[in-house]
Amino acid sequence: MSTGRVLWRLLSYQPGLFILNMALWTAFWLVPLVMGLVTRQIFNAITGGAAASGTLWSWLGLLVGVVGARVAINMAGVAAWAEFFFSRAALLRRNLLQRILSRPGAKALPDSPGEAMSRFRDDVDELLKLVEMTVDGVGIVLAGLAGAAIMFRIEPFITTVVLLPLTLIVLVVALLRQRILRYRRAAREAAGRVTDLIGEMFGAVQAVKVAAAEGKVISRFRVLNEARRRAALRDSLLTQLLEAIFVSSINLGTGLILLLAAGLIRAGTFTVGDFALFVFYLGLVTEGMTLIGNFSARYRQAAVSVQRLLELLPDDPPGRLVAHQPVYLRGPLPAAAAPERAADDRLERLEVRDLRYVDPATGRGLRGVSFGLRRGSFTVVTGRMGSGKSTLVRVLIGLLPRDGGEIYWNGRRVERPAEFFVMPRAAYIPQVPRLFSEALRDNVLFGLPPARADLPGAVWSAVMERDVATLERGLDTPVGPRGVKLSGGQVQRTAAARMFVRRPELLVIDDLSSALDVETERTLWERLFALEEVTCLVVSHRRVALRRADQIIVLKDGQVEAEGSLEGLLARSPEMQRLWRGEAGQESAGPGGTAG
Amino acid sequence: MAVSYAQHRQFLRRYLQPQWLRVVLLAALLCGGIGLQLATPQIVARFIDLARAGAEQAVLVRLAGLFLAAALAAQVIAALSVYASENVGWTATNAVREDLALHCLRLDLPFHNARTPGEMIERVDGDVTQLASFFSQFVIKVLGNVVLLVGILVLLFRAHWSVGLVYAVFTVATLLLLRALMERAIPFFKESRQAGAILLGFLEEHLSGTEDIRASGAVPYVLRRLAEAMRTQLEKTKRAWLRGTMMWATTAVLLVLGNALAFGLGTWLLRRGLITVGTVYLFFHYTEMLRRPLEQITRQMQELQRASASIARVGDLLALRSASADGPGMLPAGALAVEVERVSFGYVPDDLVLRDITVRLAPGRVLGLLGRTGSGKTTVSRLFVRFYDPTAGAIRLGGVDVRDVPLDHLRARVGLVTQDVQLFHASVRDNLTFFDPTIADARIREVLAELGLLEWMASLPAGLDTPIGPRALSAGEAQLLAFARVFFKNPGLVIMDEASSRLDPATEQLVERAVSALLRGRTAIIIAHRLATVQRADEILILERGAVLEHGPRAVLAADPASRFATLLRTGLEEVLA
Repeated sequence: MSTGRVLWRLLSYQPGLFILNMALWTAFWLVPLVMGLVTRQIFNAITGGAAASGTLWSWLGLLVGVVGARVAINMAGVAAWAEFFFSRAALLRRNLLQRILSRPGAKALPDSPGEAMSRFRDDVDELLKLVEMTVDGVGIVLAGLAGAAIMFRIEPFITTVVLLPLTLIVLVVALLRQRILRYRRAAREAAGRVTDLIGEMFGAVQAVKVAAAEGKVISRFRVLNEARRRAALRDSLLTQLLEAIFVSSINLGTGLILLLAAGLIRAGTFTVGDFALFVFYLGLVTEGMTLIGNFSARYRQAAVSVQRLLELLPDDPPGRLVAHQPVYLRGPLPAAAAPERAADDRLERLEVRDLRYVDPATGRGLRGVSFGLRRGSFTVVTGRMGSGKSTLVRVLIGLLPRDGGEIYWNGRRVERPAEFFVMPRAAYIPQVPRLFSEALRDNVLFGLPPARADLPGAVWSAVMERDVATLERGLDTPVGPRGVKLSGGQVQRTAAARMFVRRPELLVIDDLSSALDVETERTLWERLFALEEVTCLVVSHRRVALRRADQIIVLKDGQVEAEGSLEGLLARSPEMQRLWRGEAGQESAGPGGTAG
Repeated sequence: MAVSYAQHRQFLRRYLQPQWLRVVLLAALLCGGIGLQLATPQIVARFIDLARAGAEQAVLVRLAGLFLAAALAAQVIAALSVYASENVGWTATNAVREDLALHCLRLDLPFHNARTPGEMIERVDGDVTQLASFFSQFVIKVLGNVVLLVGILVLLFRAHWSVGLVYAVFTVATLLLLRALMERAIPFFKESRQAGAILLGFLEEHLSGTEDIRASGAVPYVLRRLAEAMRTQLEKTKRAWLRGTMMWATTAVLLVLGNALAFGLGTWLLRRGLITVGTVYLFFHYTEMLRRPLEQITRQMQELQRASASIARVGDLLALRSASADGPGMLPAGALAVEVERVSFGYVPDDLVLRDITVRLAPGRVLGLLGRTGSGKTTVSRLFVRFYDPTAGAIRLGGVDVRDVPLDHLRARVGLVTQDVQLFHASVRDNLTFFDPTIADARIREVLAELGLLEWMASLPAGLDTPIGPRALSAGEAQLLAFARVFFKNPGLVIMDEASSRLDPATEQLVERAVSALLRGRTAIIIAHRLATVQRADEILILERGAVLEHGPRAVLAADPASRFATLLRTGLEEVLA
């Protein structure tokens, strides 16, 4: 999708607002032309002798009036611009987030979230800057053109001689602009490396202290700081240089006018007023030409940003990035409720046939997995590390895209698992759940209307009731960014409560053991077993879960090694025996890394 | 936030003195630039008068040439002085960043446990960047503009005292008005920035949680919250922008009134023959020149307030002291004897995690430390490297109290391998050496060879240069790296919190070999999770609720069917320990 097309789609969103902004800002930039003309008349009146005194006062009054009008235009312009600017920012960000959230959850981003964040922030800003330049630019360029025309009418020779070198200078500057963007990016990257290191040195502070490596890490910090200083100075020097060229070109023009006009002023054909107007308009013309140069540089820069934003939406037609839709900056907000339960959502039987998935990085995955489960049953997926347990449940519910195989819900084929396995049909607890900086209550409800939710019941099922009681503000406690104010175990149980409160047909749980101590985990399992009418698909290697399982699926190297009840498997499957005795026996005594 | 004048001065002295030459150069550049800026309009005024009086062409051409030269020089000097000031600013603030980061790294663990890395980025980089304005912008934009303003007024006084007087009153009134407007606008700008930060925070968080959002069917909810956050940003920013426009508008209106005044007064003086047309032009030109200093001084005064807040916060951080003082003692060379003498410890007062523990371990012995989660195993390991000090009792290594030796020395002699291996996004080499470029590759190879890891290293795509990060390695590989880190120091005591997760057989074998190498000729305490490790131990100690439940030679305990250890061996570690 071309940059021009993106730009146009952004500009033309809400056409009324677009026209209003264009009109106000073009007017704003054209007013200085009038100010120049009035100033010229004022000087002419001053030098014109006592007879012109009367008109001097009316010209002065007009000057004040024109500036007053410009101030009024500016006020209206800023108000209109805020609406215009933020609705476009909102359109881009909403389109992006909406599409990202519709992709398989575990593969939603091309790179890390931090990296995606820089696209959401910097690349969106880059496009908005281009929008801003367009809205401002029309007026600025018109003012420059009109200014040059007026100068030409007053004194064609001087105008031609002055504007020619000016054009050359501006062209050179436009070329240098390219470099400035490069330097700026380099400076930003150098700054990024410094902040990354700060984050890491404090993230790994324990390791640094243990190694008594504080001094060494600071030496590294010094190197990066120095690189950042140099990059920033280079950027700044070039910016200053361009600024200097810009101002100097006006000065050069002024000097040329002085040189050329000396004779004319003496002869009286070029007045002081003409001179003042020329100096004033030189600024306008230079600004207009500079804008054209800047715009072309920005335009090329924006092409990179468009590309980077489109990479966030690999499955969509490019037009989706700038598709016009409401952004809800005014009026009622969109509905947030999850859909009501429908009759055919009720799970009777789930069947999986020949599910396949290959992880592009490791080459591991699922090599044709089939199984079935019935309403009300408890199914445990187990296996060694790397056998594909997590992958299986994640491919099943569409968090990872499957490479092959079929899924049947009550015998009906599921075409898009990612859209199908959501409330009210399924809910899921990942190994490392994420919380968001809201109150604990909102993290559990997560959009569910409170009227439809049994919050205390969900909290109890998740073994959170004692935590909630001891938290200072109970369920209203803000959990901090990513839930940092809670312990790892509390985060995991909050995610469990989030799942229970949704009362889904199918519960999918990916290994609760990573953050819970065994006692709490056991209680959680017991409360889960006590729930009526739940169907569970669980990844676990805990004996308490295995003992209760109606069905155990043993995975090995991405394939079903054995399947059946615990007793049967212990009798005939060597892999199961190994997992139960050997490996399960040697395994973790619980998370030892937490404060003793 | 009150910051004393002395605090500012101290800061300036500490960070500007080392580069005083640059500071002097900067001052010279600034003065030169301002002088030229003031001079160029004078040339134009003179030119106009001479041209109207019919002076000779040659004189006029010389004046025009002089104007060009002065204008160009002014621009070059302006660019140079910005460069010089930024250089001074960056050099100074980088020094502040480094001092601050080192200071914070040395602070105790409780300080770090209370703060996220993101917050530290804000404190070490964000606050200090604000300071940059104190070092550079303040000089250029405030001092420079004040001098420029005064210069303009002096020159106007020189042209005619009445004009000078009118302008002095006008300037002061404008500054006061702008200041008042700015004060009132500041809270709105704060709110706007806050709303922007909240929106970015919202996006960052939710981009990291796509899996949870999808799986909970919360997409409509999240999109609605996005709309809310953007709506708030629009509201707050619009208000802030309008306030900002008020300031611009005020300056514009005042300046046009000033212009009208200049023309009026100029004409009146001109008619009386007190000044020339060139001088009227001078008034006009200087009025236009007033705009920038007026605006910038106002803006910079606000920046300065923010910088003051930053100086206060940086000062707060620098004022924090580590609670653990140390002495000048030295630990003996070789394997260290361990004595834990009636040690009790609690992270918070009145809640003891360790109770009255006494343990002795002869040099070269290996102690296997067992206990349920929460029994205090990890806490014990932290006391040896003085992340915390015992509430009561003492820990002695080789007969010397750990509080009597310098921290660096202690941590060089005690190697701690934690389960959670903290890595940098950097090459394997930098992760091993903590970015120490003086450690030669040959030495690294030597260490890896000793640990039996040369082959493993060769299997990495780019050897020592392979970039890794916190999640790029398996748990086993991360532990191998941590062993190598310890090996660089040649410690007399090694404390290991074993990886509890299952390792694949290949890695497991590597880990076993490396542990053997690591323990040779050293005293060791191993927090054990696996049977293999327990077999390696000479002695076994079992902790329960922070107290010693059982301690003795492994063979003796294993042979005693009544011992807890024997029970553990019979039932397997998981079901009993957990």
